[in-house]
Amino acid sequence: MASLLLLTVFLPLVGAAVLAASPGLDYRKARRNALVVVLATLALSLFLLAGFDPDKSRPQFGFEDGDGSFGFPWMGQLGVRFALGVDGVSLWLFALTSLLMITAVFSSWESIKERAATHYALLLSLQTGLLGLFASLDVVMFYIFFEFTLIPLFFLIGLYGGHDRKRASVTFFLYTLAGSLLTLLGVIALVGVYYSHTGILTFSMPELTKGLATLKWDGWFEADSWASPQVVIFLLLFAGFAIKVPMFPFHTWLPLAHVEAPTAGSILLAGVMLKVGGYGLFRFNLAMTPLGAQFLFPWLAALSVIGIVYGALAALAQTDVKRLVAYSSVSHMGFIVLGLFSLNGTGMDGAMIQMINHGITTGALFACVGVFYERYHTREMAELGGLWNWSPLWAFFLILASLGSAAVPLLNGFVGEFPILLGMYRRSPPHAVIAAIGMVLGAYYLLWMLERVVFGPLKEPHVHGSDDSASHGAADSHGHGHAHSHARPIGWHEIAGLTPLMVLIVFIGVYPKPFFDRLRPATEPVVANITAEEHHAKATKPVTAFARPESAPTPPQPAAPATNVSPRGHSL
Amino acid sequence: MTALPPLESAIQTLRILLPELLLLVVATVMMTAGAFVRLPRKVWSRTSAIALILAGLVLLLIRNEVYDPYQGVFVNDAMSLYARLLFIVAGLIVLGLAHDQVDDARAAEFFGCLLVINAGAMLVSGANELVFLFVGLELVSIPTYLLLYLPRRTATTQEAATKYFFLSIFSSGLLLFGMAYLYGLTGVSNLKSLAFLSATMSGIPQIPFGLIALIFIMAGLGFRVAAVPFHFYAPDVYEGSPAIMAALLAWVPKGLGFVAILRTLVAFISATGAGSAISDKAALLAGILAVITMTLGNTVALAQNNLKRLLAYSSIAHAGYLMIGVAVTFRNGASGGVALGAEGLLFYLAAYAAMTLGAFGVIIAVNSGDRAVETVDDMAGLAQSHRGLALQMAICLFSLAGIPPLAGFVGKFELFAAAWSASKGEDAGLFQLIALAGAINSAIGAYYYLRLVVVMFLRPLRGKPFSVRMTLPTGAAVLACTLLTIILGLAASPMLTATHEAAVAVSTLPDPTGLENLTVGGDPAK
Repeated sequence: MASLLLLTVFLPLVGAAVLAASPGLDYRKARRNALVVVLATLALSLFLLAGFDPDKSRPQFGFEDGDGSFGFPWMGQLGVRFALGVDGVSLWLFALTSLLMITAVFSSWESIKERAATHYALLLSLQTGLLGLFASLDVVMFYIFFEFTLIPLFFLIGLYGGHDRKRASVTFFLYTLAGSLLTLLGVIALVGVYYSHTGILTFSMPELTKGLATLKWDGWFEADSWASPQVVIFLLLFAGFAIKVPMFPFHTWLPLAHVEAPTAGSILLAGVMLKVGGYGLFRFNLAMTPLGAQFLFPWLAALSVIGIVYGALAALAQTDVKRLVAYSSVSHMGFIVLGLFSLNGTGMDGAMIQMINHGITTGALFACVGVFYERYHTREMAELGGLWNWSPLWAFFLILASLGSAAVPLLNGFVGEFPILLGMYRRSPPHAVIAAIGMVLGAYYLLWMLERVVFGPLKEPHVHGSDDSASHGAADSHGHGHAHSHARPIGWHEIAGLTPLMVLIVFIGVYPKPFFDRLRPATEPVVANITAEEHHAKATKPVTAFARPESAPTPPQPAAPATNVSPRGHSL
Repeated sequence: MTALPPLESAIQTLRILLPELLLLVVATVMMTAGAFVRLPRKVWSRTSAIALILAGLVLLLIRNEVYDPYQGVFVNDAMSLYARLLFIVAGLIVLGLAHDQVDDARAAEFFGCLLVINAGAMLVSGANELVFLFVGLELVSIPTYLLLYLPRRTATTQEAATKYFFLSIFSSGLLLFGMAYLYGLTGVSNLKSLAFLSATMSGIPQIPFGLIALIFIMAGLGFRVAAVPFHFYAPDVYEGSPAIMAALLAWVPKGLGFVAILRTLVAFISATGAGSAISDKAALLAGILAVITMTLGNTVALAQNNLKRLLAYSSIAHAGYLMIGVAVTFRNGASGGVALGAEGLLFYLAAYAAMTLGAFGVIIAVNSGDRAVETVDDMAGLAQSHRGLALQMAICLFSLAGIPPLAGFVGKFELFAAAWSASKGEDAGLFQLIALAGAINSAIGAYYYLRLVVVMFLRPLRGKPFSVRMTLPTGAAVLACTLLTIILGLAASPMLTATHEAAVAVSTLPDPTGLENLTVGGDPAK
């Protein structure tokens, strides 16, 4: 199984190399080749999923040495190892990446005709970056994949994006790079701390996680000021991941990048890349510097709820459907971070499953937006309406994805957001309450979008490629109900790309147990670590440890900026 | 220790200097013959290439020759092997780029000078004697003046050459002044002996004189590596010189300067042990220089539009990153930390050589036809017509920006790791700030490299189409740079081992007691 994981991670890169070697390839052949590769990767991922032992908390499918260390030496002198393996948390993100790639390829099926081979090569190399990132068991490897994903995405946005694509791609690249360089320092600092107190030079994630929690250095467990080691390292690590998520003040790159990215880019950006931030926060910040998270809790929780409310209000103010979905991501990712920083099992499990849910629903939403953008070349809600009449099936997909995203019970969003709120309520009720308001707002803007785009009489802008007068005539004469659209009907590839996501939206909503069963063994040790370190901290510094959780909630803080942004929300 | 008779010692020294001697002999023959016979330039360039390859082979043959480091003018240790090989490989790449950049009439002198420069750089790599080291440095400087004057095309070229000449003389003066003080500290000019004395005797190096030596040597070598405040000549000289000379200046003096810093200063400063007064002051000095140099290089580069000026500021910024390695080595020598400072420095030098020469190589290639490509905007649309070239340039630029999995990333990672874990205790903050400054600078620097990538890939062609007359050696040199950039990133392990051994060799003292046996055993005929 270990070599199977290796194969799964690098198969897309091989495909990318083959496609990149023949840049002049016809788009039909290019997309067919890409589809074969992503389907094979998905099949391998599903095979791994089936072979995953849900009871183990230790990473699986890795090459293991006799002494229990993963992988084999890579940068020998430095102690960096080439170590792959997945646990319950990375397993689902791994599978999600493989699945969303199918949607991404299908959504570029007709829309990418020029330089198609390069496009699919970039998509596939992005997939290797993402799969490798989730399967890395070595911090340096993780970082390398983490940064590597920037390059294909930079070119995807820059070469195939909208009008403002150059600015969008550069902003995206530099913003995330700036943050992740600080994360690199944080990673080095973690390794340095462990090395200087144990004399063991290791970059292995499981070893560092375990070792740092039981470090023989009391200073490590004193997190009572901004200068304490765990807090400093937490902040360094946080810089990169907060930008990736993105958390509230660092989100400004996201709407730009999403709007300008081609549909496939948006799907992967929102569906998987944002999860990298959440995954990093879990793997590094929570697993290795939990006391930093505890010390900074008031700030982190405040930023998360501001993000939730701000994202929702900003989404309400949008006229462009894609921008609306982009801002909804800011809001929903706020939930995920809130769940993570609740620092208890309930919230964390909720956050982990919500990452999957958000990946599925946002991926589906962006794919749906891509479907009509390809036909109408507009995403302005004012120019669209009644698209149910154009394609009921497509409208059904959009409605289901929206409802899933709005956390309607029995659909997947609910399964994630409910435990998050519950977990947060345990730690700090005011934050949970404000977040719940964000949830209501979330339902509001999505339904409002549905009302304008899907329901009512058919209103189509000029249809690309069809006769001018005919399309206007259609929009005018068929005012009610049973209208005929001149846009191309929804294609089989679009249905094929969206159907699996729809099935999962319902499946996770109804029966999330298999997901939680595999997640829990991976989150439990982290939660146990947090509890143990909190006890350790209490033992060494009783006063601060008791004072912290009580002083944590700062209710006026999130409310104030929320009202500041609300005028913008109502302006349109 | 018993000293060897003078004759035998000379023979031993000559044996380990065989590669340099070979290059110098070939160069002398070429330059002399060039005055009498007219041969096409390809004859000269091929002769030089063969000489370099032979020198490399000879070097590998003699790599195990051991010679008493407390006597000899040259040490044949891991550091010397690493740096000499590096200069030979980079020399071959430069030769590939240069092979058609000069007309037949001047080819003999041109390639002869290149060989002499290489020999000089290799001499510095293993120099173990102040005077010998200085000779090596001048062996690089003097042919460089000649190369800068050779084209004699325009007033700007002449101005650039003159500027470089005077500043270089000035810096040599500073360096000699510092060396005089260094000699005055102990009265020995053998660097290993100097290090041995400062490691074992208290009161050596004496602080005021040691500091004078340190500051003046850093100043003299700071000019060569283009570190602040001796950086200002670089943009003007690069811009005013032909691209091949800019490439040479961006690589050779920088590599040479850092190797010389390791050989002279690290020897006696890190030998005094971490925490000694002079090591703290030296580390502080190098750390401040590092931060100022990279910040200045990166921020000013943001505003550049001329390609050569942009790369000049980029080279200044990289001098700053490399200086981090110097600071850490001053502080810690061969102990402590996740990585050694000298290790990171030596790795980054190799990475820097590959990626910078690659970038200059692409500039040389796109200028090979009728269309002059001078500014960033002139590169617009390169990816449309010359996909391969643009891709190779992008790889080199991403590596310069420190994006994994390329060589530049591994180098930066090592340097930052070395800096972050350099010191514990009260002044831990200093090195953490240096690492932080390095990280922030990498983010700033990424902007201008990315701008070039954007121009090449995302902008349409402007004006006349590119005319590229790619020749095999140029193409091979650029490809070698690109491949090295990728390989050093993905399969860094052998290189990391080599740099580690070199770093240990340069910052530790050989055991003086066991050496006598070694010398005798190594030469059974005597």
